[in-house]
Amino acid sequence: MLRIEDLSFSYGNREILSGVSLKLKKGVGCLLGPNGAGKSTLLKIIAGILKPQRGRILLNGEDVTNLELKERAKLISYSPQEFSINFPYTVFEVVLMGRNPHVNFLEGPKREDEKIALKTLKLLGIESLANKPFTSLSGGQKRLVLIARALAQEGVLMVLDEPTAFLDFRNQLVVLSAIERISRRFDKLVLLSLHDPNMAFFFCDEVFLMKDGKIIANGKVEEAITEENLAKLYGIKARLVDVCGKRIALPVEEVML
Amino acid sequence: MNKFLLVFFSVFVTSLFVGRLLFMPWEMDELDRSILFDVRLPRIVAVSLAGASLALSGVTFQNLFRNYLAGPSILGVTSGSAFGAAFAILSFPYNPYLIQTFAFVFGIIAVSLAYKLSKLVGEGLLSLILAGMVVSAFFSALVGLTKYLADPYNKLPAIVFWLLGSFAGIRWEDLKFALLPMLVGVVGMLSLRWVFNVLSLGDEDAKALGVNVRKFRALAIVLATLATSASTSLSGVVAWVGVVSPHIARLLVGVDNRRLVPTTAIVGASLLLICDDVARSLTSSELPLSVITNFIGAPILFAILVKRRGVYHVAD
Repeated sequence: MLRIEDLSFSYGNREILSGVSLKLKKGVGCLLGPNGAGKSTLLKIIAGILKPQRGRILLNGEDVTNLELKERAKLISYSPQEFSINFPYTVFEVVLMGRNPHVNFLEGPKREDEKIALKTLKLLGIESLANKPFTSLSGGQKRLVLIARALAQEGVLMVLDEPTAFLDFRNQLVVLSAIERISRRFDKLVLLSLHDPNMAFFFCDEVFLMKDGKIIANGKVEEAITEENLAKLYGIKARLVDVCGKRIALPVEEVML
Repeated sequence: MNKFLLVFFSVFVTSLFVGRLLFMPWEMDELDRSILFDVRLPRIVAVSLAGASLALSGVTFQNLFRNYLAGPSILGVTSGSAFGAAFAILSFPYNPYLIQTFAFVFGIIAVSLAYKLSKLVGEGLLSLILAGMVVSAFFSALVGLTKYLADPYNKLPAIVFWLLGSFAGIRWEDLKFALLPMLVGVVGMLSLRWVFNVLSLGDEDAKALGVNVRKFRALAIVLATLATSASTSLSGVVAWVGVVSPHIARLLVGVDNRRLVPTTAIVGASLLLICDDVARSLTSSELPLSVITNFIGAPILFAILVKRRGVYHVAD
């Protein structure tokens, strides 16, 4: 279980997160909220990239807030919103880097780590890409590779910052269903951020609605994403309708600039 | 890897026998042997180590700064060493040990200064690069000033030749001082090769994968600076080898640093040996080394860039 207690973070005088608390027992949790709500900052703090000024992060009861980076990376994997890989590493090499927390830095990965990397690629059905340069892949493929890397880290919690960013409609579905599948099959906790409430309906168990550095509502997806909360979150009027057994949010009013 | 080592050893051994005097191993007298072991061997050892040092510093900085064009001098080490040497030539009666010491120490001072200044600009890589540029410019200005002040018949040519690089006249005793920092740098950078993979992904990814970015980056900079300033102190400025060797190595083994880093060291050592062989064999007096490394290095780099068109996809 992931539990966050009273987390606050500011850049200088600008407060980005103020007193965020949340609890994710199992499955896929989703941060939903407008740009600038503090979603990425929260995810980076959980991953250990940023240090909070106040608050605690507990994972299965263990306080990981000040855990050393390597120990933390054994428990928590993170995939960033943007692709930052400049050099044409092969897909296999990229996924192998996910083994870093388990590897002695002088020795590098061993055969066992290579096996795990390969297994992970197979699991996501992208083993045919293994020898392709990461930089030559499409956006959807790159995203799957980074998820494979996060999976190869073998942590308890996967933190994914906008895994659907820059993806077309189909690829959004491909990536999110892969994440959902992994979470179910390996009983892994996943916390991700999204921009589309409908994708949250389709693929997530819990949702945390964020605005101005605070969580304004949370709970099971269908309970927390209400017409009222969408209005609060985005300042738009939307209707929730059930189509083909799925719930979707439909904007019904022209958005005023 | 073994075949690259074999190429290096062939170049190494060949270098012993070529030069203005071409030796045949089976017909050597006492004098030839003395030239071979007391003149050529120390020089070739120095050249190999310097080539490996520069090439490894190049690949280290290319990974650290996530940029193909980074070279050993990006944080100002070469400009610092150049000023140290020029200052020693200008201010004291000619003394090679003093020039070596000043070059080494000022190389380290320049990088420390860049590192300190970068903290005033901000965290992260860009501030380091900017601070490196500022420090390089500052020391280049000082080099210009020492050249302007130097006696044009005696000291100025010495400064100019130092800035063009040469391993001429290196003996075993000259190696004593530079050997340790070069070895520490070379062995250190070779052992960090796996970490370079993770660091090359950028700060956020590296941290998320459990690498203490600040610690390892500082360590890599220290190792690269030790190796580069020691090798520069020995030979003067040697251009291009540090930038071009990692590119040749990428062509041979790809970008995974587990293979790339050791191959880069071998390529750097072999390339600089070949350039040095050319420098001392081509004409009756020795050519400055940087003239050769520029002549050979620049077209090689261009050819590689054209060949690998499309593979070098630089995002930012």
